[in-house]
Amino acid sequence: MSELLRAEHLTRHFKIGGMLSRRTLHAVDDVSFSIGEREIVALAGESGSGKSTIARVLARIYTLTSGQVYFEGTPLSAIRSRRDGLRYAGLVPMVFQDPFASINPVFRVQHGVLRILKLHRPELSARQRLDEAERVFGVVGLGADMLERFPYELSGGQRQRVGFAQALAMRPKLILADEPVSMLDVSIRIGLLNLMAKLRDEEGVSILYITHDIASARYVADRLIVMYAGQLAESGPIEDVLTAPKHPYTQLLLSAVPDPMAPLSQVNDRGEPPKVVDPAPGCRFRWRCPLAIETCSTVTPILAELQPGHEVACHVAQTGAEVKAFAS
Amino acid sequence: MSEAHEILEVSGLSVDYVLPLQDVRAVDDVSFTVDRGEFLGIVGESGCGKSTLLFAVAQLLAPPALIAAGSVKFEGTNLVGLTDKQLSAIRWRDMSVVMQSAMNALNPVKSIGAQFKDALQAHGKPSKEEIATRSAEVLRMVGIDPVHLKSYPHQLSGGMRQRSMIAMAMLFTPDLIIMDEPTSALDVVAQRSLMTQIKELQQAYGFAVIFVTHDMSLISHFSDRLMVMYAGQIDELGDTRTIFDRPPHPYTQGLLEAFPSIRGPRVPLKGIPGNPPDMAAIPTGCRFHPRCPHAVERCTVTAPDLYPLDGDLVRCLRRQDGTLPKADQQGSLSR
Repeated sequence: MSELLRAEHLTRHFKIGGMLSRRTLHAVDDVSFSIGEREIVALAGESGSGKSTIARVLARIYTLTSGQVYFEGTPLSAIRSRRDGLRYAGLVPMVFQDPFASINPVFRVQHGVLRILKLHRPELSARQRLDEAERVFGVVGLGADMLERFPYELSGGQRQRVGFAQALAMRPKLILADEPVSMLDVSIRIGLLNLMAKLRDEEGVSILYITHDIASARYVADRLIVMYAGQLAESGPIEDVLTAPKHPYTQLLLSAVPDPMAPLSQVNDRGEPPKVVDPAPGCRFRWRCPLAIETCSTVTPILAELQPGHEVACHVAQTGAEVKAFAS
Repeated sequence: MSEAHEILEVSGLSVDYVLPLQDVRAVDDVSFTVDRGEFLGIVGESGCGKSTLLFAVAQLLAPPALIAAGSVKFEGTNLVGLTDKQLSAIRWRDMSVVMQSAMNALNPVKSIGAQFKDALQAHGKPSKEEIATRSAEVLRMVGIDPVHLKSYPHQLSGGMRQRSMIAMAMLFTPDLIIMDEPTSALDVVAQRSLMTQIKELQQAYGFAVIFVTHDMSLISHFSDRLMVMYAGQIDELGDTRTIFDRPPHPYTQGLLEAFPSIRGPRVPLKGIPGNPPDMAAIPTGCRFHPRCPHAVERCTVTAPDLYPLDGDLVRCLRRQDGTLPKADQQGSLSR
């Protein structure tokens, strides 16, 4: 599998407080990962862990504090002209969380798709644009008659399909999907997840699937990246990570997933997120970690490959000891 | 079940939204009871009427919604038709409500302690010490340090805000706490922790809980009985474990099969085809038939009643004779 996007030491800080404040929020700190072609990578973590910040950095909505992102070998910092920016935006579009807020309510649904086609593929004639709009609607499972509808006539699931159709109209290589199903009803979600798998298998698109729902990540994704407090905790092929999680946080996350078919696990973690304003060095999970050792409070753990493709940022796991912080 | 154990008895409750073009019946002839100390889970998709039902039980409906028929008997008193003054004697003292978003339910310009004080003073004239002791006590119950009585909502994390809402609901140790998706804004770890805590408090203090959620797997380990709603009606009402082990209604089966699991083999799932119905244009016959994989012809014409099945109630024509077709007994949940 060839590499499509590589992020190296991705860091994004935000200044917070008033003008004279020196406090800095470390939203994303030193995160490195890559996304291959035809691959769905799930990015999981609790709210505030920096998942959405990463999506916005990759979409060039936020600039980087430090680090670099390479797309097909070219660094994002090399994009200077409007034309290059537009080209990149077309190759890496975003699908948003809230399908009720992301479509303009005063225009027919086709408006968005046709505008995208006009902007990103100016070589098409008006007739071809309409044909193409029908084609992408067909791919996402919407009939051509949907083009004439207004957003209020569509259900949440249909709207989110419109979101994917719009992304697809740009002929993307990588879709950044930020919690695309979390606002939808459970009976509708599976359909969207199946659509994501179809886009990968039939259209050859890679997807960065941002979610806090591990079970849905397992359903569609090839690889899983777990973030905690702005840092990468663990990453690897999804089945490896889920069957043998090495980072205590991943274990905690898995133990908390509600599963009616499994007995209730006993976990006494409150789920209080850590502070990432001017953090001191050390592992950010150490306050919640039952296995924390002295090194954890002084040295920030960095990712190390424990098994082929399976990387973990945990001092205890890296000593080779078996980590069993939370039973799942 | 003797009369004395029932704390809430809802019978024949219907709620209409009176709209200019057409009245829409959001809750249709719903009857159920809640026993003292029981945990009842109500599950359904958005628009199925579950929140409207809660609001009707708590008498919080505002126009254009109104109760068209039925009664809500709470500890023997019919709440329907009581004046606000009569209701406020019951509210918070005997029955309290925890809303979905604690960020919106708490007053952002008042400290947590001041909001507790307001609630306590609404029922009687407690002294300063009594207020301080009770406020600190309930916060400790939900595992928050009482120093946070001085904190404002924005200074607390989402989980802590939701916990302090629950603490506030327990100020008078009510007999019934109604919860409308209190955990849906939280991530899984905080969600699990809160659920465990609600259950522990419930066992310690003996209050009954009505818990509304769209996530069936969330309450599988916590609720005693489960009520599944579809298109304003009860689809299924029965023992939680029984329903999970062999869901008798095709809709419930579909809901359970719509969840991917983190264990076992990865199997392709289909979810439930179609969309929940528009409440202004309800399908004829069984309301679920357009989406039902087992629908037969009579489902399109005959509206099913709630039929008893092993002590549970199921709204499905195929269960009319009180049996479960063989095919279904194994079909679902084989994963």
